Amino acid sequence: MSGGRKRPAPAPFAGFSPFARSLLFSPASGYCKLPLPNASAAADGPHQENAGMPPPPPKRAKQAEPSSDDEERHSSDADGASGSDSDSSLECSSSDGDDASQELETVQADFAFFDPKPSDFHGVRLLLKTYLDSKPWDLTGFVDLILEQTTVGTVVKMADDEEEEGEGNGGDKGDGGNDDDLFGLITVLNLGRYGENRCIKDLKEYLLAVCGNKDSEKKLKSLLEEKASSVGLLVCRRFVNFPYEMVPKLYDSLFDEVSWATEDEPTQELQDSFRFKQYLLVARILERKTNPKHNAKNNKDDDEEPVIYPKLEDEIFRELSSWSFTFPIRADQSAQQEMKNYKEMGLVMCVKAEAIPKFRKRLEALVSE
Amino acid sequence: MASRLKFENSCEVGVFSRLTNAYCLVAAGGAENFVSVFEAELAGVIPVVRASIGGTRIVGRLCVGNKNGLLLPHTTTDQELQHLKNSLPDQVVVQRIDERLSALGNCIACNDHVALTNPDLTKETEELISDVLGVEVFRQTIAGNILVGSFCTFSNKGGLVHPRTSVEDLDELSTLLQVPLVAGTVNRGSEVIASGMAVNDWAAFCGSDTTATELSVVESVFRLRDGRPGALGADVRKSLVESCFV
Repeated sequence: MSGGRKRPAPAPFAGFSPFARSLLFSPASGYCKLPLPNASAAADGPHQENAGMPPPPPKRAKQAEPSSDDEERHSSDADGASGSDSDSSLECSSSDGDDASQELETVQADFAFFDPKPSDFHGVRLLLKTYLDSKPWDLTGFVDLILEQTTVGTVVKMADDEEEEGEGNGGDKGDGGNDDDLFGLITVLNLGRYGENRCIKDLKEYLLAVCGNKDSEKKLKSLLEEKASSVGLLVCRRFVNFPYEMVPKLYDSLFDEVSWATEDEPTQELQDSFRFKQYLLVARILERKTNPKHNAKNNKDDDEEPVIYPKLEDEIFRELSSWSFTFPIRADQSAQQEMKNYKEMGLVMCVKAEAIPKFRKRLEALVSE
Repeated sequence: MASRLKFENSCEVGVFSRLTNAYCLVAAGGAENFVSVFEAELAGVIPVVRASIGGTRIVGRLCVGNKNGLLLPHTTTDQELQHLKNSLPDQVVVQRIDERLSALGNCIACNDHVALTNPDLTKETEELISDVLGVEVFRQTIAGNILVGSFCTFSNKGGLVHPRTSVEDLDELSTLLQVPLVAGTVNRGSEVIASGMAVNDWAAFCGSDTTATELSVVESVFRLRDGRPGALGADVRKSLVESCFV
């Protein structure tokens, strides 16, 4: 990552799933390494891919809160060791080594990319809960839409969940593998193709309502109405501790699927629906609150970033965007101490399809720093 | 009757509300349309009280109560405690208890006569539950899960439990609780029953993702089609009821 750029400190690893809890509470249990999903790719279907490369050597662990009695780490079948080493050294910056007797436990975890399935409903819904603000909208319909589009769209889960279900086909699905937790999701939806769905109508209404800037409002309106059939809503959601090595792969898989869809889809109309000219993104950022009391201590303010991007690629997108606007978020703000000077804002950006190759290069460069 | 609603895009109605036969607590500071659904059903019959516990909105998971009393975790502030004491009917005993496991709503499931608790609760807490709520306390697990308050919910008329509860467990629980039980889901397959819905003897509120099938199961096992509060055939507790499958 570029030096001097402050990344929000990794949030403590919350035990949000049976898997996560097993990591937190059993430091001694090594997670046995599974055979590469490639070996069983035939059983799992043509579109399942894992993040490409052979597993890297174990990285130094990322320490969670000092009070928790063990470390956990995520490894992914991702870039070569060099990238991961520099990454892990940054990630370990929060480990003060305050407990000398603590061993650095490494836990191996394999993530894999899958096509969206109807059984992913709850996981995807959880990821999208904060997509728009707290005002009720047809979130359920939106999730269903994403899950129906199996040709373009990827969900990230633990590598073994799918295998369990595949083997237990016909019989009962294993109890453990059931709550397959989604760690990330990426997809793109054609606003014209789905324009009649209530969730897309709600979304369009919402975006037009929160847009404060007259100029952006005009551009947004034309994007959502006349040009809708060539606009893709790019949705990328993931948990905060998602390993950055996998992010470029996630975007690569999306854009590859989009280009394959322009050839593989059964009808000409569907093929054309993936020839996007622009991408629309809705993201969250943290903007520093302008506090009149701090004006006296100017030098203190300069140390803090004016804007923090929880998802780093949003910064790249914003720089490459043709236009963008921000809007205030009314829902409960998080009460983290370090974030108290920041206000959560929504960010809407429009990126031309031609800028995507530049984006991919810059993302790759950012992650491998 | 069963209604479907959302709390700010979340279908977890049982997290943001606590419904009993004598009162209803809802999260303070949420959108008005959430509270208004409760008020539409319950106003005039029982008080609908906006509250927070420990500054949070997850009142349904932190507290537990029935018509006799309300138990609050140690994280409840003094003002919140006083507010609740003032707003609830006099016959409801409001008590703050000192239990390490502060998410009482996740650990304890109860109706007006019986309570199921997390086996890890302390003896003092159990005694308090039995005193304040006026119930018989049973330490139980549901489908191997110790968080009984999350994975089952029951009223004086019936109950819904985790979908993977075995038939033997279902029979045993039904005998303990003396109400018909059904293993099922809410919110389109969510297993965390109590977080997804709030129920008392005559009304139920489910998340808006609940399918029509799930809703009809809820209405039939909780006998919600029977009419208004205190209606015909009220006390079936005395008669032993076998588990009932719909």
